[in-house]
Amino acid sequence: MAETLKTTSVGSFPKPPSLVKARQRFRRQEISLQDLRAAEQEATQEVIRLQEALGIDILVHGEMERGDMVAYFAENWQGFTESLPVRSYGNRYYHKPVVTNRVSYAGSTGLTVESWQKAQALTKKPMKGMLTGPYTICDWSFNDFYPDRRSLVLDLAQLVHEEALALAAAGAEYIQIDEPAISTRPQELDLAIEAMEIVTRDLPAHTISHICYGDFDAIYPALLDLPVNQLDLEAANGQFQLLEILRRVPWPKDKELALGVVDVHSHRLESVDEVKAGILRALEVVPAERLYIDPDCGLKTRTWDEAVQKLTVMQHAVDQVRKEEGLK
Amino acid sequence: MRITTLGSYPKIPADHGPSVRTAIQRFERGSIGPTQLEQTIRDRTRHVIQVAKAHRLDLTSDGMIRWNDMFDGVVRDIDNVQSAGLLRFLDNNFYYRHPLVRGRLSFQGGVVRWWMTQAVGVSTIPVKAVLPGPFTFLQLSQDDSYHNRQALLDDVVEVLRLEANSLLDTGIQEIQWDEPALAYYPGWDIGEVSETLAHLTKDLSVDQSLALYWGPGVHRWIEPLAIAGFSRLYLDAVSDPEVVPRLSSEQLPVEVGVGLIDARQVKKESVPELVKKLEPILRVQGESRVWLHPNGGLELLPPDHAEGKVHVLSQVRDAVAIAPRNGGRG
Repeated sequence: MAETLKTTSVGSFPKPPSLVKARQRFRRQEISLQDLRAAEQEATQEVIRLQEALGIDILVHGEMERGDMVAYFAENWQGFTESLPVRSYGNRYYHKPVVTNRVSYAGSTGLTVESWQKAQALTKKPMKGMLTGPYTICDWSFNDFYPDRRSLVLDLAQLVHEEALALAAAGAEYIQIDEPAISTRPQELDLAIEAMEIVTRDLPAHTISHICYGDFDAIYPALLDLPVNQLDLEAANGQFQLLEILRRVPWPKDKELALGVVDVHSHRLESVDEVKAGILRALEVVPAERLYIDPDCGLKTRTWDEAVQKLTVMQHAVDQVRKEEGLK
Repeated sequence: MRITTLGSYPKIPADHGPSVRTAIQRFERGSIGPTQLEQTIRDRTRHVIQVAKAHRLDLTSDGMIRWNDMFDGVVRDIDNVQSAGLLRFLDNNFYYRHPLVRGRLSFQGGVVRWWMTQAVGVSTIPVKAVLPGPFTFLQLSQDDSYHNRQALLDDVVEVLRLEANSLLDTGIQEIQWDEPALAYYPGWDIGEVSETLAHLTKDLSVDQSLALYWGPGVHRWIEPLAIAGFSRLYLDAVSDPEVVPRLSSEQLPVEVGVGLIDARQVKKESVPELVKKLEPILRVQGESRVWLHPNGGLELLPPDHAEGKVHVLSQVRDAVAIAPRNGGRG
């Protein structure tokens, strides 16, 4: 594994057509759960093979078993009901959960452990454990039960904490707790931080939080108080203007930055040169040993070919920067 | 009291019926052509209007079925601005492509005009067009060209006026200018906003309204914008609880819309409670000068709940109609 400018991915990968078909057939009760799981595992293997072939340092399993990062947990925990889809942008929709009772586990903790274990068994490289943060689960659900958002967020924080502990106990070295909604209401940033303190309390793992498409201007540098080792932020979507916001204060020595350098919501394929230029700008803000490089967000909105191309450009750009800057 | 919707409506059905989502997927896979896609969009628009008609809305939007976000249509109609990267739309889990200004704005037109012509063509009840207001456009766009806020604002106002002008003979009954940014963000120069909006609406021969929603600052604008030339103000009374007492205390020289139906939560409102909140407003403003509406577009709700909220509108209207009141009936 590289020592500097490590590369990774944010989370989701596009589901191959065979898995899309299997999910449809499972919904129509034409195949068994076992058949669906086999299709998911096959797709996961493909995702891991791709990342290894490209030379990516820290892998993700691609979330082949998940439809949506919030709905997945809502479907498997108690206290939620599923709604009809709601549009989030363009032609993308998600099943926005409705909280109709106190949230709790449906059974034992460790919902995400098995998929992590199966994925980690396929590679010697570190595999991230992937969770969605309590603030985002709250924000992306309808609350039809709790008297206020705070009570819901704090109950969810306890569930996510237990899930994180289960991943760590299973051996996950890196645990990512996604909080893309954290910039939604700057006045609630303290609540999101309090919830993350619960999630990461006594957690023996390298913790990451991915945040994207928000108003960073409104929450920076207060965001640096989020108790995780690494912040994973999107930059390509905004032509790397995020870096100007990050320049406001020196990047803290105890924090890593993972920077999104390819836009996952655009068909356009970035050139290696423009990605390199973004990375070089980032190196002016964060030293190479604390700078990680990845796409802006999960790749599930791209086709498989687009995802491969974007990751290839990203890795080539990193390789060239490492070489030209004399980094290991 | 009259009832209306504010803007967007789900593009997918609750159970069966035309689904723009499915049609776009099929179109992108090549299994249907442009004609079938267009037909689905028209059918969905027709459905939105049928829902409005079934609940006897006095005025409706077309559901903005063709719009990806509130800027989409006008960005297509203006030269030297493009839809750029995705950003979260205020405090919603909904994303818009921010307008990126790359040169001097000029009005090309045709897109929104054609969209509204189609909507009016399938409607049997009055339809309004919904356009972004200049301050929300300015706040949520990126300027890579002017580097001069006033110059950009002046041109934004001019192209929006041209857009509004282009809609006048489409058959629409109202142009609703949406300014959520004025409610959401603090720190506006009230004099500048009032003057600019008065210029925006001047001499346009159609009813014009202003919609303020999704922020705690709605009440700040009631008095200054009541005299800015709008026929009515649509005010989000869910996000800003100050709105109801303000409207209950003094009659305004403009019709008022009260956004008491929460367009962002599935929880169904209690009709008696809504009637109770409306009573003092109806008394002070005069019944014929008050509108009830959701506090934003209904597209942030699942389709079954969106229709449920329209139903609540009609239930409250009916309850108000039979409720005994003293004085102030307009």
